[in-house]
Amino acid sequence: MQKKFPLQLLAAVVGAALLAGCGDAETTIVEQDPIDVPDDGHDHGDDDHATGAGRLAVLSAGGDQALVFDLHDDSLLDSFSLSYPASAIAASPGLRYAVLVSRNDDHVGFLDGGVWQEDHGDHLHPYAQAPALSDYSRTATRPTHTDVGDDQLAIFYDGNAELGLPASVEVITDHDIANETAHPAAIHYSMAMHGVAKPRGEYVLATVRRADAESTSNAKVLPDQVGVYHLHGDDYELDVVLDEVCPDLHGAAQNHDNVVFGCRDGVLVATETATGYSASKISNIAALNGARIGTIFGNEESASFIGVANGDEQVHLVSIAPHENAMSAFDWQPAAGRTPVAYSFANDGSQFLVLDDHAVLTVLSAHAHGDHVHWEEAGTLQLNDGDLGAMPEGGKFALTVAQDGHYAYVADPIAQHVLKIDLETVAVVGDIELETVPAGITWLGIAEDHDDHAH
Amino acid sequence: MYQVTRIAAALSLLFPTSVLAQSIEGVVQDSTGKPIAHASVKVKGTGSEAVTDKDGRFVLRDLTVGERELHISATGYAHLFHDVTVVDKTAQQVTLTLSYSPIEVIDVVASPVHMSTMESASPVTVLAGDTLRRQQASTLGDTLEKVTGVHTNFHGGVASTPIIRGLGGPRVMIAQNGLDVGDVSRVGPDHSVATEASTSQQIEVLRGPATLFYGSGAIGGVVNVVDSRVPTDTVTRGEWLLEGNSADERKLGSFNFTTGTDNVGLYLDGYWRETDDYEVPVAPDVHEPLSSERTVANTAEESNGFTIGTSYLFDRGYVGIAVEQFNREYGIPGHTHGGDDGHDHAEEEQVYADLDQTRVQILSEINVDSQWISTINARAALTDYEHAEIEAGLVGTTFENETQELRLDVMHQPFAGWSGGLSFQYKASDVTAQGSEAFTPPSEARTYAMALMEEKHLGDFLVQLGGRVERVTLDADAVLLPPLEVHSHDAGTAHSAHGDGVIRVFDVSQEFTPVSVSAGVVWDFTPGYNIGLSLSRSERAPSASELLSFGPHIGTGTYEVGALFDVHEHDGHFDFGLTERTIDLETANNIDLTFRKTQGDVGFVFNAFYNQVDNYYYQVNTGLYAEAGHDHDHGDAHDHDHASELPVYLFRTDDVVLHGFEAQVAWQATRDVKATFFSDYVRARLQDGGDLPRTPPLRFGTQLSYEAQAISAHLDVIRYQEQDKVAATETSTDGYTMVDASVAYNFTFLDQSMAVYLKGQNLTDTEARVHTSFLKDIAPRAGRSFAIGLRGYF
Repeated sequence: MQKKFPLQLLAAVVGAALLAGCGDAETTIVEQDPIDVPDDGHDHGDDDHATGAGRLAVLSAGGDQALVFDLHDDSLLDSFSLSYPASAIAASPGLRYAVLVSRNDDHVGFLDGGVWQEDHGDHLHPYAQAPALSDYSRTATRPTHTDVGDDQLAIFYDGNAELGLPASVEVITDHDIANETAHPAAIHYSMAMHGVAKPRGEYVLATVRRADAESTSNAKVLPDQVGVYHLHGDDYELDVVLDEVCPDLHGAAQNHDNVVFGCRDGVLVATETATGYSASKISNIAALNGARIGTIFGNEESASFIGVANGDEQVHLVSIAPHENAMSAFDWQPAAGRTPVAYSFANDGSQFLVLDDHAVLTVLSAHAHGDHVHWEEAGTLQLNDGDLGAMPEGGKFALTVAQDGHYAYVADPIAQHVLKIDLETVAVVGDIELETVPAGITWLGIAEDHDDHAH
Repeated sequence: MYQVTRIAAALSLLFPTSVLAQSIEGVVQDSTGKPIAHASVKVKGTGSEAVTDKDGRFVLRDLTVGERELHISATGYAHLFHDVTVVDKTAQQVTLTLSYSPIEVIDVVASPVHMSTMESASPVTVLAGDTLRRQQASTLGDTLEKVTGVHTNFHGGVASTPIIRGLGGPRVMIAQNGLDVGDVSRVGPDHSVATEASTSQQIEVLRGPATLFYGSGAIGGVVNVVDSRVPTDTVTRGEWLLEGNSADERKLGSFNFTTGTDNVGLYLDGYWRETDDYEVPVAPDVHEPLSSERTVANTAEESNGFTIGTSYLFDRGYVGIAVEQFNREYGIPGHTHGGDDGHDHAEEEQVYADLDQTRVQILSEINVDSQWISTINARAALTDYEHAEIEAGLVGTTFENETQELRLDVMHQPFAGWSGGLSFQYKASDVTAQGSEAFTPPSEARTYAMALMEEKHLGDFLVQLGGRVERVTLDADAVLLPPLEVHSHDAGTAHSAHGDGVIRVFDVSQEFTPVSVSAGVVWDFTPGYNIGLSLSRSERAPSASELLSFGPHIGTGTYEVGALFDVHEHDGHFDFGLTERTIDLETANNIDLTFRKTQGDVGFVFNAFYNQVDNYYYQVNTGLYAEAGHDHDHGDAHDHDHASELPVYLFRTDDVVLHGFEAQVAWQATRDVKATFFSDYVRARLQDGGDLPRTPPLRFGTQLSYEAQAISAHLDVIRYQEQDKVAATETSTDGYTMVDASVAYNFTFLDQSMAVYLKGQNLTDTEARVHTSFLKDIAPRAGRSFAIGLRGYF
């Protein structure tokens, strides 16, 4: 036995070599979906290279199915069954993924639209692949609001007061989704709240709920303060609480300089300064007729915000101009008896779209008068003149805008189709038939570059 | 010099004086009977080692009973093997006589079988001590270029890698303490090696196939940079150096320091170097001989780095960890690209690379000394490498490499005269490149390997055997084949059609099982002489860049297309698609013959080798040209002149034969004066006719050295012959003679051994273009330069 020792080892090695098929080489090549190259593949400087390459993600009524269409030829690329029925669909900051929020299942999933670009130093390299459900998901108690800013997505988890589960915020990027980052930067609260968080690079402006005795909110689940959170290591830490209170805070929007929060008595404006954030308050105006602002829209390209107050009878729109510290009635108001169901800025902020419960889309265009912006109706479209009472269960009118051109898409659950609208001519220019009732849509793809540093 | 007594004292701590009664005591002396201090006496196949004191005495304790072989080594002497029989409960007395050797003999560290210039079947060179300090340069290739059989691929002094017997790139493995250096220097000649000579202790060069020890990547040889970052003793010692050089205004400072307490060792090293663009004796660009330019643009460099290590020492070995941070910012000379021809050099933009690497190594040796296993040697490394190539302030391309490696050498107890062990290795590297020159897609390579190496003395014969089997996988899930517009420059040939507007994407996974076997014998046919013969068959898995590349590689000035692809022509159009050839292993069949004289006033080593490499991966010129795709928004990018194009090179395989010789003769004329002569030559040709590019020319040279107590002086004269055995696309390169000299004054100050030295390089200020360099036409070697420096040991 002893004598054989080295020989046995040698035999083992040789045996292994023979078993392994001495000197073997095996190559497996699987061709994947090709990437469309819009031009000759060398001119990375052109701006229009992504036009028409977008995708449309459609969420079905009931939230158990998601469809992805190629907007190049309006063809259905794939449909996906969702294990967690989604209550909302939104686009990721980089517009690559559809974010599928399943509030009741404490789950946020991601659907890869398949179109994105990668920074290759001197150019952005476009990719177009088959859509796919990502393995990545986030789970925490009651994800509700998702907010995009600075290439980041903030997911606000409301928590559950009854079960004693606190609220939290997670901030992720498309990169995190692609890399399946296990522990994204987060804010951990000590109690539940129906709050909101606005990501701003290494800062997050997020709501702060105080103890009920101190809170100025009537509905105590709504926070009444805003905290400036700063990234320290892996998590965000509270730097400072803004000194203005915002009772019954709900709704927020941001642009380059400001973050505006809706309060019972007005709006709280946080303004970015060289050293942090300063706060001011703009009171509600009489035109609101006692209603409060609960939803706010903003756009990076627009200095002013549009606030929405749902009154008992009437929806009121206001214009909020933080740089003038002023609120004024918006230039356009919904007609009596009409309730807007969806709003959106167009991709460059020059237009604002309102879709109401009568399937009328109103396109408003901004006109500058000196420092002041004035909004005018550019046109309206009656998108469905049938019986609007025949709304299928779970169906919703939904609106999304393309980020690579002046187009909007409106999902009509009654007619079961998505209409493509040219925002320059305010005309329906396309129609995508659906085999399912839509409840939400979102545009995915490569955004047009609005910056002036185009190559 | 190191303080012998303190080392001995420290070693005696390692070997407690108690327990077993078997021991060997003895004296090591030279042939005149004079005791030799600081000689190492090792019991082969075990961890036992002793160092002689000033009277040449040593004691080896705690020995197990049986046949044992002692290996005795000392600086300036030939190594000696001596058989002893350890008898139960006796203390034996031996007298060991070493013969003088004019050729320095240093062992390769941490090898399962003995490797040294004079003793092993396959050829080895170790650069250490003052020789290393004298020859160290900013880059690894330049540091080793005076080693017989090794040339540099000189890349403007900022990046260079060794060419061993005509092979370089992915065929020469570069290791740090036996573990892969983990950079991307094997991918392009403009990529610097992430290791530093000025803080290293010795650099080992294994010439010829060394896949047995280091795996697939070592088919052409290995360079292992060794330092003591994980200290194996706690003797306080250190070394420091300050140097300035005139040719490139180089300023270098470096140190290494080892200390410790009872059983905790500490190590620290660091270096800092800054250079300007270097001066040359002629206009650097051969195409502009009338230019008054006398510096090579974009060759400045700034590097710094440090290493901190610690170890825990115990009776039976050590375990330690070291962390290194390596930073280098270096110019990328010759980084011209399409469309820039009109620029004169004065406005040439700054192109440089910014390299960062963090390396963590865990090294350990445990002398188990059980019935079966004598020693277990474990090494692990984690490296995180990144370099960004920056042009005009913007990041052009970023290369990253994350490597994890684990090696385990299990040495068995000598058995029936055989000593050796099993070696296991795991290595994983994830390499990505992003940017305009990201010519290779992201890939993951995994290697699992097992090797067995054994040796035995049979009378006058030393037999060394080894075998290794590996599993190498290479996965790349997004190999891109973009539509490439190519054309030939032949009149009347149409440009190829635009692609069909899509980039084809492939998910490629490859699995290779390279197997290497080697057998060698060294025959001491008469005292003082030996003959070595080594036969090996080694296989190599092709690298990611050889297989998967598709894109412009500015470092080589070519548009590179990997062996996975091929070009098809129809109706005057050229299309790229997948190759129909089989992707196979590269196989080297190598014969090495060595004849040595190991003792006496004259020593020599002659090597001859014949290496037949089947399926040799190399680039062939397709005769086609492609747009560089590298416009920089100059506004005039699309003028479609030929200046903005790169020739398309395709990786192919062919059978190749390399043969040549190395010769080294050393003559100790007097006690202080020594003359060394050397020569090397390699002929690298395709079996079906034709020569390989960038093959080193015939070289011969001499070194005269005078080493007295206080003064030492060296004169090196090396002649590089013309190289006219060139590949089809190459030009021949003129020969030249390099004359270097150095003089050092040694003294003792503040209880330290110090030396102040003056070095002169290229004293005749000759134009020297390096045939093995990609930049030979635009970056000759530096002109006459002088360096002054001060170094100390304590």
